[in-house]
Amino acid sequence: MVHSLSVNQLQRIEAFVNKILRNRYNRYNLIAAGLLLIIGFIWIYPFLWVLFASFKTSSEMFSAGAKLLPETWDFENFSRAWTKANFSAYFLNTVLYAVSATAIELVKSSMCGYALGRYRFPGRNLILGLITATLFIPIAAIILPQFQLVRSLGLLNTRAGVILALSGGAGALYVLLFTGFFQTLPDELFESARLDGASFFQTFRLMLPLSKPIIATVVIFQFMRTWNEFNIPLVFTLGRPELRNMAVGMYAFRGEFSVDWTGFAAGTAISIIPVLLVFFIFQGYFVRGLSGAVKQ
Amino acid sequence: MTTISAAQKRNSRRAKKKTAVPYSKQVRGKDYFWVYLFLTPFVVLYLGFTIWPLFATVIYSFFEWDGIKPLEDFVGLENFVTIAKDPLFWLSFRNTLVFALVNTAVKIPLSLLMAILLTRKWLWGKRFFRTVYFAPLVIPVAMAGLIFSLLLHPANGAVNDMLVSAGLVAKPIDFLGDERLALLSLILVSVWQIFGQYMIYWMAALQNVPEDLYEAAELDGANEWAKLIYVTLPVIKPVAVVIVFLAFVNALRVFGLVVTMTGGGPGFQTYVVPYFIYTQALVDFPFRYGYASAAAVLFGATVLLAVMLQGHFVRRSGE
Repeated sequence: MVHSLSVNQLQRIEAFVNKILRNRYNRYNLIAAGLLLIIGFIWIYPFLWVLFASFKTSSEMFSAGAKLLPETWDFENFSRAWTKANFSAYFLNTVLYAVSATAIELVKSSMCGYALGRYRFPGRNLILGLITATLFIPIAAIILPQFQLVRSLGLLNTRAGVILALSGGAGALYVLLFTGFFQTLPDELFESARLDGASFFQTFRLMLPLSKPIIATVVIFQFMRTWNEFNIPLVFTLGRPELRNMAVGMYAFRGEFSVDWTGFAAGTAISIIPVLLVFFIFQGYFVRGLSGAVKQ
Repeated sequence: MTTISAAQKRNSRRAKKKTAVPYSKQVRGKDYFWVYLFLTPFVVLYLGFTIWPLFATVIYSFFEWDGIKPLEDFVGLENFVTIAKDPLFWLSFRNTLVFALVNTAVKIPLSLLMAILLTRKWLWGKRFFRTVYFAPLVIPVAMAGLIFSLLLHPANGAVNDMLVSAGLVAKPIDFLGDERLALLSLILVSVWQIFGQYMIYWMAALQNVPEDLYEAAELDGANEWAKLIYVTLPVIKPVAVVIVFLAFVNALRVFGLVVTMTGGGPGFQTYVVPYFIYTQALVDFPFRYGYASAAAVLFGATVLLAVMLQGHFVRRSGE
């Protein structure tokens, strides 16, 4: 109701708007934030679509087209995905694979990077050279012998086998990051640790916390990689469906459950919301950790 | 006396040889044990899961083998001869390269622009926008593929529903069933999915541009565009090279999207090398392990060559 505003009020609103527009950063913001909102909506439209589809009945899901909101809210999809479609097991597998592969990766790459960065010894250049040379080998080129190796260890179609394959092949890049970091630590630091009588292992325990940016980077990279991994869990659990992670399990979903798409949507919603929350909260560390690593 | 002088000589020689190594970086006494102990976990797994597979793939490629029976049917170069004449392999090869090149060419500049925008101090709602553009990365790639196979469906998919009701197209487009569109659709979905990762890489690189460089440029009257060209890009160039390398090599790994969105189709139009290897060795009966290994060898060697050439030219341009 514009006419109910007094002239005085209108003037005050105009003054306020002018005050905002006078600052050039506010003007930038109106354009940039506006654009980012519109593109952002398109960007996360697939998420919204899945999220709302998980409340729809399957007939509505296919007739709704681009429409987002369901006509009736149906919560039954979630319980069906969680129990009947084995989704809870897939979820737990995914968490187990991602957490253990990340932990193994962190331990082995920090130890190796510490030895390579801190000391000069016979064989050091050979190891560094090999790692650098194989950094860019595509996984597809070597997955078949990895499969044979895990099979000959008797670990095919076991959780241990998947974890081993996930953490065995990766890590060259992480070792280089740790090596670079420990190389740049000043010698005086190690010297004073030695004078205090610290043993090799005690010194390592003192120095490791200094590499927090690298640790953050490795954890984030490896966790994301293993959380999303499809090729390795698919190939290494061909014979035991109950060992699948979510990515592979969801793929099988369409074959085994006569395409229960709303159940699939519910399962997807369950799996992505916790990770998004984690990112929303920790994104500061994420970027800072990575830029700390880049600086090395 | 002689033994002492020999020991002295040895010591002095060792000292001379090691003058370049600072005292604190030398390994002494039982630290040798610790150093090699620390190397062991990584090196053992690395030998098992990277170095040995490299050799093994080459060895398998000389055999006719199904992956189960003993490895005894040596065929020499026959697998390579067959594969050189296999149109499906070359189609996969071409598709993989097209995928990786176009994917990289689209995602790298776009994610850099977005990273620059999202690191501006004046921007409102940074945390919210970063989460939005990062979001697709948290969906496992196979799930993203399934979601898009629904969204892009010609009969009742949301995208066609929008295009048709907006009057942009007369009849629905079969994005994944059309020979010319299928690979492009895969590329764009992949860009959407992986975008956040490269945005974060760029943001990390941008954080290391010293603030006083911008201030100095501002004093010289540089606008935002000039600051980008003359300050930001030159400073982040060394990191940028690594990011582009990673982007290209990671794009060569394309697998999950192909499996879930097209299954290599329509026909064989979206076959890529990782998918070719997978189907030859583990899906299509009879399993052709040796043959798939030959494909892997050819592919791996080409990628390595491409990366080395790229690195060579980058180094040259840097000098």
